[in-house]
Order: sequence, then C-alpha cells, then structure tokens
Amino acid sequence: MDASSVRIRFTLNGQPRSAEFPADTTALKLIRDVLKLKGTKEGCGIGECGACTVIVDGKAVNSCLMLAAQLDGRTVQTIEGLGSPEALHPLQEAFVKEHAVQCGFCTPGLLMSTKALLDINPAPTRAEISKAIAGNLCRCTGYRHIFASIEDAAHTRKEQT
Amino acid sequence: MTGAHQAIGKSIERVGAREKVTGRARYSADIELGAPLVLKALRSGRPHAEILAINTEKALRIKGVAAVFTAMDIPGKNLTGIILKDQPILMGDKVRSIADPVALVAAETETTAEQALKAIEVDYRDLPPVFDPEKAMAEDAPKVHAKGNVMVSRTIRRGDVGSAFTRCKSIIEKTYRTTFIEHNTIEPDAGAGFVDSDGTLVIYASTQNPHYDHKDVVTLLGLADEKVRIIQAATGGGFGSKLDLNVQGFIGLALYHLRRPVRYVYTREEAYLGTAKRHPLSMRMKTGADENGRLLAMQATIICDTGAYASYGPAVANRAPVHATGPYAIENVDIRSYGVYTNNPFCGAMRGFGTPQIAFAHESQIDLHALDLGLDPLAMRMLNAHRVGSTTATGQVFSASVGIGDCLRAIQPHYDEARKGWTAAPAAPYKKRGVGIGAMWYGIGNTGVQNPSTARVEMDRDGSVTLFTGCADIGQGSSTVLSQIAAEILGLAPQAVRLVTADTKFTTNAGATSASRQTYISGNAVKQAAEQLADVLKTEAMNKLRVAKSALMFDGGCALVIGQPDQCVSFAELAKRIKSKGASLSWQGYFDPETVPLDPQTGQGVPYATYAFAAQLALVTVDVLTGEVAVERVVAAHDVGKAIHPESVIGQICGGVAMGLGFALMEEFEPGKTLSMKDYHIPTCADMPEVVPIIVESPEPSGPFGAKGVGEPALIPTAPAILNAIADALGVRLYALPANLERVLAASIAAGHFKPAP
Repeated sequence: MDASSVRIRFTLNGQPRSAEFPADTTALKLIRDVLKLKGTKEGCGIGECGACTVIVDGKAVNSCLMLAAQLDGRTVQTIEGLGSPEALHPLQEAFVKEHAVQCGFCTPGLLMSTKALLDINPAPTRAEISKAIAGNLCRCTGYRHIFASIEDAAHTRKEQT
Repeated sequence: MTGAHQAIGKSIERVGAREKVTGRARYSADIELGAPLVLKALRSGRPHAEILAINTEKALRIKGVAAVFTAMDIPGKNLTGIILKDQPILMGDKVRSIADPVALVAAETETTAEQALKAIEVDYRDLPPVFDPEKAMAEDAPKVHAKGNVMVSRTIRRGDVGSAFTRCKSIIEKTYRTTFIEHNTIEPDAGAGFVDSDGTLVIYASTQNPHYDHKDVVTLLGLADEKVRIIQAATGGGFGSKLDLNVQGFIGLALYHLRRPVRYVYTREEAYLGTAKRHPLSMRMKTGADENGRLLAMQATIICDTGAYASYGPAVANRAPVHATGPYAIENVDIRSYGVYTNNPFCGAMRGFGTPQIAFAHESQIDLHALDLGLDPLAMRMLNAHRVGSTTATGQVFSASVGIGDCLRAIQPHYDEARKGWTAAPAAPYKKRGVGIGAMWYGIGNTGVQNPSTARVEMDRDGSVTLFTGCADIGQGSSTVLSQIAAEILGLAPQAVRLVTADTKFTTNAGATSASRQTYISGNAVKQAAEQLADVLKTEAMNKLRVAKSALMFDGGCALVIGQPDQCVSFAELAKRIKSKGASLSWQGYFDPETVPLDPQTGQGVPYATYAFAAQLALVTVDVLTGEVAVERVVAAHDVGKAIHPESVIGQICGGVAMGLGFALMEEFEPGKTLSMKDYHIPTCADMPEVVPIIVESPEPSGPFGAKGVGEPALIPTAPAILNAIADALGVRLYALPANLERVLAASIAAGHFKPAP
C-alpha cells in the first residue's frame, strides 16, 4: 500500500523498454496488467504451478514471485517473444505437431521453461527435461506429449513404445 | 475401415493449438474491456448460520466502491443448479457452508474491493453444523435444507441376493472411503462482461456449458432470453468444476445494475474455496462368488456427501450405483445409494461422477475374491466380464460394442511379463514390487435422462462451410473432432470447416461438456446436419451431372462422379444453384441417445445407449520403510469405439492416468485446511510412470463412425490398479484413499515389513 513509484529500464523480447509502476508490483503484474502481454498466465500466485514462467537473463523464473523492480537492467523473454501463429518457433512447432497442448493454460510457462533449458543444453536427457519442467504443472496431458515435443525439438526423441 | 476415411482416424493439428502456443488465445482473465470494475464476493467463513442482518454502509462509503449487492438486489429467482435449484448465488436467510457468498462488491481496483469486503458487517446466529453424511441422515440431525438432508436416493434391485449368497464359496464384505478432491484446473475460474449497444448483457466465461449458464442467468435476472449472451472464452480445463455457475451469475448481476464492464477473476484460493469438489463416498460392499470365481451377488450401500448444495450430486448418487458392479455380469444385486446434504463445501461433477470412487470398491473386491479362491485376478475378470448378450444390473442387455474382453486381452501379455519377469526380479532392499489391475465401464451421457445435442452446418454462396456448435471445447479437443466429422461427410479438409462454437447468440444447445458425451452425442448431431447438407448438394449435383446420387462423391470442395473425377461441379456452383431455387444451405442436426428412465423402485431401465470400457495395469514399487509408492508403468487399454483423433485419445488416456495417480496417492482436499496450492499436490512430470496407451476399437453402431467417448474412462481404472498393486506388493490392502505415505507406511508396519536389518 502507498507504494512509491519505481521506474525501470530493461529489455523485453529483444526491445528496450521502460516502465513505471508502484514498488510492490510483481513482475507478473507488470507483464500482464501494465504491459498488457496476456500470454503469461497466473495459476496460483505463489510459485507452485509455473504458469507464469518467463525467462530472465536466461533463467526460467516464476514471475509471480519476483518484483517488477528486480527486472531493472535485465533481459526478459515472454511467450510473445517466441514466435507468432504464422511463424512459430521450432519449439512451438513441436508442441503443435506432437499434440502437447490441451487446455493450453500451462503451455506458455512450459515453453519458457523448455526454452531456457534448450538454450543452455540443446540435447537434454529425459531426466534433465523432467528437472527443468517439474515446476510447470499440467492437469490435462499427463506430460507424455510434452516430453515428446521437447525431445522432438531437441532431436533427442526416441521412438515411443 | 480407417483407409476408407479421409478425415476420421487422423491426428490432425488441433484447433486453437497455434493460438495457445503463442500466448494469443484469450482466456477470460485476458479479455480487455476498458476499465472494468472488479468484482469480489464476501464468503461466510462459517459452516451453518442464520443471517440476521447485512450492513453495507461502511463499504459503500469507501472511495472507488461502485456497489455492494446482496440477495435483496437479485431481480429474478435467486436459485441456481443444473439438476435441483437449491443454490442461491448470494445467501439471503442462511449460510450452509464456509464458502457461501453473502455479498458482492464492485469496485475500481482489487485493493478497494478487498477493503470493501472487510467493511461489510454481517450479523449471524450460528446453527449446529453437520459434517458427517451418515450423521446427517439421522432424524434429529441439523437440517441443511428445509426439505431434509437426504437429497436423493436410488435403489437398484435385480434377482435374489439372499439366496445367491448361500450358493457362494467366497463372500467378501468391506467398506471403502474416498475424500474430497479438487479439480485444480490450471486456469482458476474467471469471467468478464459488458452491456452491448442493444442492451444485451454479454458475459465471457470459463465454462463447460454456456447454454446452461444462459438459462440460469436469465432466470436469476428475470430477463428475456435474448437479453443475455454467454460466450465461452478459451477455457483452461474443466474436469466438471466449470459446469456450475461460478462467476457468471455475479457478472450478470453487476451488469444488470451497473451497465458497465466488469470482471471477476478468482484467485487460486477462491477457486479452492468457492467451487465444487469431488464427492467423498463411503461404500459398503458385499459380494459373493462361486468356486469357479463367477460373481453371483452384490449388496452395497453407497453414501455420497454432496455438501451444502446439489450441483451434480444427484448425477453422482445415480451413476455410482449403476456402475457398482463394474464391467461384470452379476445376476443378483441389491444396491442402495444416497446423496446427502452436509455443511461441507458443495460437491459436484468431477471426471467420472462417482465412478472413479465406486471402481476402487469393485476392483478391490474382485482381487479379494481372487485371493480367497486362489484364482488369477485377470482370469477372474475375464470370466465375469460383460459381453454381447449379457445383462447389466439395471436389466440392460448388450447388443454391441462391449470391448472389456478386448481391453483385458490387450493388457494380458504385459501382465504375464510383469508377473514372470518384473515382480520376480529382486528389488532393492526395503522395496517391494507389486502388479495390479483396474477395469471399468462407463455409460456415455446422462443417466436415463434426455441429454440431446444440436448443431448446424451451413454453406455460404462461395461454397465454404461453417459448423455452428454450442459445444464447449475446454481443452479435450471437441472442436477438432467435430470439424473432422463434418469434414468427413463433406469431403473437405477439416481445416476448411469454419467453426463458431459455444456462443449462445450464434449456436444452439449442445448440452454440457461432461459425461464423456460430446464425441458421441454432439458428434452425431454434427454428422446428421452435415449429412443433410450433403444430401442437398448431391441432389443438385445429380441435376447437373446426370448420374445417380450413389455414383457421386465429394472431394476438395467439389461433387464428382466416382471413377470420373473430371465429371465434377464445385460447391460454390452448387450453392448458387441451390440458393436460387430457394432451398436451404443451413441444416440443423439433432441427436439424443436412446435410453429408458430407471424405475424408481427397482432401478431397472436403460440408463445409457452405449458404454466405454477399459482395463489398466499398474506396476509399483513400495518403499516399506517410508511408505513411498513409485508407479513405474501403467498399461492402459481403452475401448473408445473408434478413435476419431487417435493422439487426442492418447492425450486423454495419459492425462487420465495422471489424475488417477493423484487420486490414488496424493490428493486430499480438507475443507478449511486446504487453502492454496501449497496445501494440495497434483502430479508433476516427475511423478509420472511410463504410460503405454492401447486404443481398442469395438465400434458402436449408434456412434459417429463407431465412436463412443474416453474423457472420464481415462481416469477411472488408474487408482484401482495402483491400489491393487500396492496390496500385491505389501500383502495388505488399503480401504481408504489416498494411499499417502502415512497410510502405506502403517500398512507396511502392519504387514511386518518394517523391521531392522538382520
């Protein structure tokens, strides 16, 4: 309450941005409500579900647990920076092709966790994938098609039994 | 058969997938309506109390508070509910659970709305609460509703259980219990609305049933049908929870009075508190089998705790007894089921409507008989499994599409291998391995009541086709499947079929996305509509091409003569010709499955036109020192009639196994204690076993291209299979879910596995 205003400069999806907001604003609120990027979702608000995952300086983070002020001077990627319906990123392509999307509410967060993983580890093992996405809950798919998509994108996919 | 189809049986790109992977899909919380007011409900926080007075003056004086509504402000009928109208959206005289809303605030910001909630003063007089449904059934129990606490009851009686039990060699009688379960859709409930230029209240919502929402909102507000329009926004999962009127009534009420945009986005905490749960069931079950293992009799008493309101409780209290025998022919049954009001959170639909709970009981019983009689559990299931010609507990005789035998046969090699190799191989010290089977049947659609679907297929003058369906795709993929069905009939690529879905202004009622009914019921309605259009097109093509209708086919937007593709006419030309003759290019389809209502005394009748079947095998490792259960592998065979989109069927199976695993091992919602996602655990990717999905296709003659359904069946056999595997590993059985660390460890100690190293 009565939070004084904060002004930050950062890089968002490759573009320099500045923003001004009350100091108690979370990164998620900044992204969704101030910058109006609605692809990042809120599922729980307490860092349990991973729907709000974005990439900050190469690391996947829960944006609901981070203050927007902490983004000052940093590089942020959200789902809007990945690809468009007409020109999908290969990872998005793989999620579509492998039917990894059902309700889709966890999908942006999952894609960001996966992107952060593949950027530093282009050929992860199944265990490494599992570790990277264990914080992204999905209630629809049972994760099978999600693993298949990630392995497909990383070209490490083995034939399913 | 598959070869003959061009769109059916193909795992095409799912409708909406591109929008979802790019973050462009608009869920309710994403909809921008220009400075909307924020809505928030004040919930009672007490389980049972009379409301003496509500004072909103202080709240109204807060700057930024636009309005505070109470039950007095509802212009129409303040009672909602899909089956029984017993749930006010704002409580007027009393509250029946801690979640009951008593006032609704509309404010400029979230913070102001929260301040206003704190400033509302409510005077209550507490009433004695009742939380145990068995106690609630007593004559002198506090009455949750004036009409009494037994909301519904159902009896299913057939044959003579008394004399049948005397012929049984093995008789098992046990009581099984399950808990409240939270759907935990990843999207919390949300909605938004505005008043259109013609005065229509337009409500976007995360919903499984826009036409039901519409009916209850117009009744609530006392408005004409055309004055309310419900549009399903992209919906982040449902599993039954979004069948109730969650935010839609609140948004309608605020729009009615304030005439300006509003939004209501539940926090996860409010979604936990304020929406339906899976019914906890207590199931006392007595079954008997002869020396060969043939089941002869079942006696059961089922008590379903529906909490404060009915919601889909009557459906649960009816479906559980109908499915109590499992997919087995038992000639003598006497089953009683009760749906009971308590002061617990209200329980409603959740994936399976009581069937996941009752399957835990019947699948435990059959394993206990097998052990008792020295029989193999899989062989005993084969022996008793329904087949064409067998009779169900409600007296229905199967005439086709009974795939339970095929499902059991499909898991047999995996079962044999697990028994021979896997369980026999040495496990690590303190670890025990077990193998378990779960089988199920599931009636598609509502139980012995009408549940029709409608659809419209329309051709424009340019020959393009639009499918209008009220069916809400909540992520399961109905839009994709329905477009495949229309495309198959019209010889089009499914992507060429434009879709208008789940908007009450432009689509007619398809019924709820529930009971695994959309592929079968709405699929048939779409097929019928498309077939009528196809017939009109062929009639016109016949005029033009001068051949018999039977010599015509469709391909790529043309009608052509089979074997002479150069003899063709485009849909665009046909459309123009048909239009110029004053004939219609817009056709409505309608389908209602053929059922016979259950007799009120005996429960005899035909509750469903068709059933899905499934069998799953679970391989588990139990740590006898910690109680930890690792599910290593699940083989899941599902008879879906026909897989219209095989990868979506596999997606349902794997998602069902995940939800079933949560139900089996970790999920338990404790009213008043489970407040946020910190307190409730659903499976992560690290909890998942290897899943081997097997699609079994035993075609249903009345289904579209033979299809039935899979949404709920996917989940039902998993928990029974895991629980039977734990019993196999430990040599003792659990009779209550979930099989959490505490319960499994207690069982391990009771079985003598917990002991110091020699």
